[in-house]
Amino acid sequence: MNPETVLLVLVVVTALGFDFTNGFHDTANAMATSIATGALKPKVAVAVSAVLNLVGAFLSVEVALTVTNAVVKIQADSGAPKSALTDNHGEALLLIVLAGLVGGIVWNLLTWLLGLPSSSSHALFGGLIGSTIASLGFSGVNWTGDGTKLDGVVGKVILPAVMSPVLAALVAGVGTWLIYKIVAQVGERFKETGFRWGQITSASLVSLAHGTNDAQKTMGVITLSLIAYGSWTDTTSIPFWVKLCCALAIAAGTYLGGWRIIRTLGKGLVEISSPQGMAAESASAAVILASSHLGFALSTTHVATGSILGTGLGRPGATVRWSVAGRMLVAWCITLPAAGLVGALMWWIGDLVGGVAGGIVIAAILVAAAVFMFVRSRLAPVTAGNVNDEWEDAPAPSVPASV
Amino acid sequence: MLELFFQAAWKVLVAGLVLGAGIPALFALGVRFSAAGTGGAAMTVPSSKPNPALKALAAVCFVIAALAVVLGITVVVASGFGKMVSFDHVFPTLVDKG
Repeated sequence: MNPETVLLVLVVVTALGFDFTNGFHDTANAMATSIATGALKPKVAVAVSAVLNLVGAFLSVEVALTVTNAVVKIQADSGAPKSALTDNHGEALLLIVLAGLVGGIVWNLLTWLLGLPSSSSHALFGGLIGSTIASLGFSGVNWTGDGTKLDGVVGKVILPAVMSPVLAALVAGVGTWLIYKIVAQVGERFKETGFRWGQITSASLVSLAHGTNDAQKTMGVITLSLIAYGSWTDTTSIPFWVKLCCALAIAAGTYLGGWRIIRTLGKGLVEISSPQGMAAESASAAVILASSHLGFALSTTHVATGSILGTGLGRPGATVRWSVAGRMLVAWCITLPAAGLVGALMWWIGDLVGGVAGGIVIAAILVAAAVFMFVRSRLAPVTAGNVNDEWEDAPAPSVPASV
Repeated sequence: MLELFFQAAWKVLVAGLVLGAGIPALFALGVRFSAAGTGGAAMTVPSSKPNPALKALAAVCFVIAALAVVLGITVVVASGFGKMVSFDHVFPTLVDKG
């Protein structure tokens, strides 16, 4: 037992906290459409999604240890932490990771409070990039990789973020258009019940894919920290308790349901009917799976949002609320730098205070920020009971502009 | 970098359109055949009689759509176990990740 153990515990708890926010931030990606069309009752939808995320998290036996390599240089290719950062039970690396995680969580909570579906992976990467720049300078960031494959901040984060919503919108738009052509003469009731199952199935597939992708990132970060600290040495496997905790954290988050974001995606962006819901989720599932199959990294959130937008464009006569889409776009563009800024700030504060005490201070700041945002959210709560209320053109739930 | 990116994006788009728009369209055909086969109020056009042949056709559409879902689950599960689904032999087969 040494003082750095406290730092390690803080990192693990914070990482699980991030995984939890990742869960409720992304419930909407799979389930917003099914909830909005009434294909599934809100509580049932989040339960299904939570179970599938749990299963998904366990399905990936492959090691995701090198997850940070996509954006920062704190690990070697083998997955082991850079030796320069492992002195003193990895104190330097633990502080970078902790500050980065805090940046990611703070941004995830803020966008949740505003009901904006921003990417959790971008928040995590942004936080890590910020704390790495603060600690190691700009050369500590993997901007473009070595150019032989899609890598680095540009290849794995920025380019896919620009392209994936467009691809998803295109696929979903074409799908919606075809569906409406084909079923034009089918009676309304028959249509709704017919597409209900298609919608639930395609949404479930998105949930499963989400569990395999996103829980892994946190598993990788925690294992990296354990190796840096010195309590784990194997770079080819992940401790079982890490896998279990991460799977449970993301599933619990998903079950909590980010109702504010579900509302924005299901009701705010476009009014969705069953056929559109199916078109959107099928497009999301196909784009996500095709991309991961081709080793092309993208954010589930960007794809899901693009798909829902696409179904609004593809259905003759449907309206897309461009003001809502615009707010989302702004949130996407600033996610990476904003989370990065918080990450960098946290690292500076932690470094200023120094050592274990620094870690405790930034963890305390995180808790304070989280409590503050939770209290603010209670002023205009969105729950399973009112998630489907009529959308009024103010950004609902209304949050005072001063936040 | 950009060239690599557009190559990947192009493939994702094609796969997305075939599976992400094609399968829902096929499912929609199933719904339509099923409605036409049911007859009566299931269609908005002047009602027809129940037609078992159309219902069978609908079932074929639904089965193909279901197979696509199974393929999707296979891709997810396989990649978790370090395998990938190869389409080199037209029929999907599991191979080790290259």
